[in-house]
Amino acid sequence: MIELLRRAAERDSASVAMIAENGTWTYAALADEAETLAHGLQDAGLERFAIVSNDIPLVVALLAASSLVGAEACVYAPDISPAELDRQAAAFAHDVVVSDRTDLGDPSVAVVRPADLRKAGPALDVLPERRPLLVLTTGSTGTPKGVRHEWSRQLARMESARDGSGQVWLLAYGPQQFAGLQVLIHVLGTGATLVAPSVRRPQAVLDLIHEHRVDHISATPTFWRFLLAEFRADDRPVPELRQITLGGEAAPGSLLEELRATFPAARVSHIYAGSEFGSTGSVRDGVDGLPASLLEESDDAEVSLKIVDGELWVRSTAGMLGYHGEDDRPAGEWWPTGDLVEVVGDRIAFRGRKTDVINVGGVKVHPLPVEERVAAVPGVRIARVYGRANPLVGAVVAVDVVTDEGVDERELKSAVRTACADLPRPWQPRSIQVVQELEMKENKVIRGGVAEG
Amino acid sequence: MEAHTKMNDVQSTIVTVIEQLLERSNKSDIQVSLDSPIHGDGLGLDSLETAELSAILEDEFGTDPFGAGLMPETVAEIADYYIEGDGSNASVPA
Repeated sequence: MIELLRRAAERDSASVAMIAENGTWTYAALADEAETLAHGLQDAGLERFAIVSNDIPLVVALLAASSLVGAEACVYAPDISPAELDRQAAAFAHDVVVSDRTDLGDPSVAVVRPADLRKAGPALDVLPERRPLLVLTTGSTGTPKGVRHEWSRQLARMESARDGSGQVWLLAYGPQQFAGLQVLIHVLGTGATLVAPSVRRPQAVLDLIHEHRVDHISATPTFWRFLLAEFRADDRPVPELRQITLGGEAAPGSLLEELRATFPAARVSHIYAGSEFGSTGSVRDGVDGLPASLLEESDDAEVSLKIVDGELWVRSTAGMLGYHGEDDRPAGEWWPTGDLVEVVGDRIAFRGRKTDVINVGGVKVHPLPVEERVAAVPGVRIARVYGRANPLVGAVVAVDVVTDEGVDERELKSAVRTACADLPRPWQPRSIQVVQELEMKENKVIRGGVAEG
Repeated sequence: MEAHTKMNDVQSTIVTVIEQLLERSNKSDIQVSLDSPIHGDGLGLDSLETAELSAILEDEFGTDPFGAGLMPETVAEIADYYIEGDGSNASVPA
């Protein structure tokens, strides 16, 4: 991480790396801050630590500092509760958390203030051989898993990155998310500017997008759906986005079309990545799914894909080393992604998560194709398709929809049924509820419901 | 008298729910009465339609006879579940 900051600073010491609520940081200032913190980490003998902060420039400086001295940093959710902090610190054997929060009470883990880590010292020019990083997976329930990564693997793809100076990106992911880390690496690795809001919800970022002329955004499809709704409800002209990136969930074709119509000048791409297998790169043709050509195996490829029993497997040079508390995984290992796919023509089409499959009387129903049809119904803002437990057939397909204002509920339900009428009968929704909002976690819809047994 | 009103309300809600379900299944020509058998030559609900009826009843009344382990055979028996057992208190047959 430090090398990205230094490279951009060498190119132009005045170029702006980050715009946050508490100030603007140039690449040079951020690199200096990281080096100062790195000395503090060394002085304190911190080899592993957690970070709890919503000050994104600080988080970046701490990550860069850790990458400079080979300490293993791990970013927790910025708004983590004191009780959960204790749980996670115990689960991941963290003795120290670096945090600027004053509301953590008296946690069992030692809290070190960032100011106490700012130390002067000689230039740190030699990067250590081992530069570990711990990323937490975002499970929808329970304690997340710790995924061990190596900075050099994560940064390898940025060595030949194009110069992105002049681009203004929005951080729409949390710094603790793997996708958030990918955005940080990409933006800082290309010398672009990142607008880092403290609240990363569509409604809250609208003004920042206009104020700082954000023209590049990477976010989940759910975030984009709501951002589009906010733009529609806003009097100002929609901003002239140049890059739209989707990741974290499958990108429905209807959403891609709407994005293309709203931002005709923007390039629409999506990223397929996971905490364990890393990023497989960006698909830039604006079409849903992945190119089937990626299935053609090559032993020296950075990323290879294969399909086993309908599930997508990935082998990547940017994959994890292993889980926290476990040995390193074998090099070149194939990883089951849990994503169910199907090859349709020249595309790998996503059918949903393996755990999302709904078993309707023995018929396996994938929620995504249903959700795509429902989401395309006029008046539907967002939809969630899941399995609803049923005493007669195990589960039925259920839909929760958030509608636009003024939509007639009865007519909408009828339109939803019509939109799904061409699906096999077990796939058709048997329960349709209009709700005020969907349960979300980190700007992704939680499907939950009845999973396949 | 009050019980009679309640019975009519419950029965009429159930009949309406079933009529709407049949309409969606393109079976709106079928007449729904309390005596109508749910399956076979009566309403002819198949497993998926019965499953949907179970979900609708649960949404409408908070509980449903199928979920309680019963297998009502007529519209009247569905209504009886709510009237006699007051739904949530319905007993499960041996």
